Amino acid sequence: MTQAFMFVVRALLLCLVGFWAFRLWIGTASWTARGVGVFFSAVLVWQIVAGTL
Amino acid sequence: MKGFRTLFWLEARRSGAWALALIGSLAFWAWGLYQAYDTTVGIRAILLTMAAVIGAIVLALMIGRLRGETRGGQFQVLLLTPQRGLTHIASRFAFALATASLYYIVLGGLAWWALAMAGGSVPASSAAQLVLALPLYGIATLVAPLLAWTLLLMVFIAAYRVSGTGWIPGTVMILGTPLALRWLISWIDRVCYSLPGWPILGGLQQVGAFVTGTSDGVGLRGTADGVVYVPQEPLWIMLALTVVLLIVASRMWREVEA
Repeated sequence: MTQAFMFVVRALLLCLVGFWAFRLWIGTASWTARGVGVFFSAVLVWQIVAGTL
Repeated sequence: MKGFRTLFWLEARRSGAWALALIGSLAFWAWGLYQAYDTTVGIRAILLTMAAVIGAIVLALMIGRLRGETRGGQFQVLLLTPQRGLTHIASRFAFALATASLYYIVLGGLAWWALAMAGGSVPASSAAQLVLALPLYGIATLVAPLLAWTLLLMVFIAAYRVSGTGWIPGTVMILGTPLALRWLISWIDRVCYSLPGWPILGGLQQVGAFVTGTSDGVGLRGTADGVVYVPQEPLWIMLALTVVLLIVASRMWREVEA
């Protein structure tokens, strides 16, 4: 029950961070800003997938 | 160089009131320390820590303010030629760093004064370390990376001004930073004391005992005979991180504002 709930929470968080990463990619013409956005999005994704959440 | 000087002057005019208010707030902390002269060392240490933390927050707010002049392009009109992103970032960072240096060195002086009021005898070498070495170490290890991070955050948000989604980069960076910082701190902890530590406060047994003393009588890592050995690795790592953050911010500035 708890594992299933956490799985759903993680999936929803992944969708949210994925949407943010998409908006960060298309929302600017600066490649450096895209790189920074990808870095911090990857940190969040790593925490959601392999972290202690 | 002329562009840097002009931008530094503009920064001083724009943020001068903030810097003066911050430096002036030291009078309040001095008054608080004087009022607490007959209390325990802990109260004075808490007051000094509060002054250091609030100072860092005010400096971050000062350097991170959004400025209409930048958006309106008055800088370019004033300077006649567009300046490099690095010049903009360096001038803002240099002004905040100069303010921080003055603030924390005076705060170190207040720590020395508080110790003298408590009746502790402070040797000249320890006094110099308290007033100069420790504040500058703290600035290089904590305040400078914080200021560089704030600058990067503001430029990162500004990169999404046109698309109108400034809250997304702000949220992602603010949420992601503590996680990335946790990895960085654990890595710094692993490599700490690989190089020889710097002995400080050798003649200050009272402060050494206060800083390093533990309830079970066992000293912390990096202490010996009441002398604190400050690791030098965090200083170099955080200085390198500061430079990287400033370079990334300046590249982003060039791509966004140029």
